[in-house]
Amino acid sequence: MGAEAVRVLVVDDSPVDRRVVELLLRAHCGGGGGAAAGEAAPFHVTAVDSGKKAMELLGRRRGDRDHLTPSSPAAAAAANDQAIDIVLTDYCMPEMTGYDLLKAIKALGSPNPIPVVVMSSENEPQRISRCLTAGAEDFILKPLKMNDVQRLRKCSGATRPKSAVAGDDDRCCNTAKKAAAAAAATPEQQQQQQRSSHLAGLAMVMNASSFEVSHYFQLIFKLILLAYAVLCLSQLLHRWSNGSSLLSLWCA
Amino acid sequence: MAAAALTSQLNALVNNMFAMGLLDDQFQQLQMLQDSTAPDFVSEVVTLFCDDGERIICELSRQLEKPNVDFDRVDSYVHQLKGSSASVGAQKVKNTCIQFREFCQQRSRDGCLKTLDLVRTEFYDLRNKFQAMLQLEQQIQACYPKH
Repeated sequence: MGAEAVRVLVVDDSPVDRRVVELLLRAHCGGGGGAAAGEAAPFHVTAVDSGKKAMELLGRRRGDRDHLTPSSPAAAAAANDQAIDIVLTDYCMPEMTGYDLLKAIKALGSPNPIPVVVMSSENEPQRISRCLTAGAEDFILKPLKMNDVQRLRKCSGATRPKSAVAGDDDRCCNTAKKAAAAAAATPEQQQQQQRSSHLAGLAMVMNASSFEVSHYFQLIFKLILLAYAVLCLSQLLHRWSNGSSLLSLWCA
Repeated sequence: MAAAALTSQLNALVNNMFAMGLLDDQFQQLQMLQDSTAPDFVSEVVTLFCDDGERIICELSRQLEKPNVDFDRVDSYVHQLKGSSASVGAQKVKNTCIQFREFCQQRSRDGCLKTLDLVRTEFYDLRNKFQAMLQLEQQIQACYPKH
């Protein structure tokens, strides 16, 4: 349990949100959280107002580290000091959205990709699952609450230089991710069930016209195929088992 | 003595703001965070909100005056205002922003203009109250020379 600060990069175009998140994170280490905050590492917050600036910052720091690492351990440590442990980004931003930033960060291709947590004021299941499939560690609804900071902390350890700790934190982060993914999937599945019952007949037409619904069709198509296969099989069994009383009973 | 009177005045003002539905529990959360590390937390965020809100409302009326209104642009400004008001817990402004966005999606200029008037009234009403609140806080702080 170190007092080593967790370095967070906050990306949000709204000055109010940026400040609230920043102060919320700072307050979290200041003993505001009671007993738990006693051993928790403080957050070191850097805030920028656009995805572009965030990428510049991350790119520069990564560049520094690449240059410095081989030369001297001291320089490497200095570069590490500047690094970012976790990115907390807003989803809705002009020019580069949080989703674009997420993809850009994941495309940096470093051995330890920086964890990204996306926050948004809209609770759209599709948006959430899109971010999680693109590699976001978590998805938090705005406005941020104290418990959200705890969630953020869980995801932050994955790229720490100490490899022993990193393993643990990584697992912890993955469970959070899975839980979030499951939570995101449930409303989507409900939606899907509703849709499949309504739209099964219109499948081909809708498939051509609507992109939004189209990725449910793979599943529906598989289901129809499966139902058809079962039907065929039962017909076959029925024919074969004309003499046998056991099977004909079963099929009837 | 004066400080106690001012404090009760401040409490009455803030309670009234909650009772009128101007603020929600997000603001309460900000208030709770204030005493821990950052003493000027609320006033700082409130000031930012007032400046940002004013800027967005000016921008919105400018956008809606144009002959060809770019509703996507208007929508993104309303989204910003909604985000800011949600972050400070300005419930009423936030809810009006939600209505506003519906008119943007309907591409209804009249609807947008009407909601802009409503948002403006609500925002300036809230801003006046926030300013009164900050003034009272300053006066209270002035009563305690070393705080």
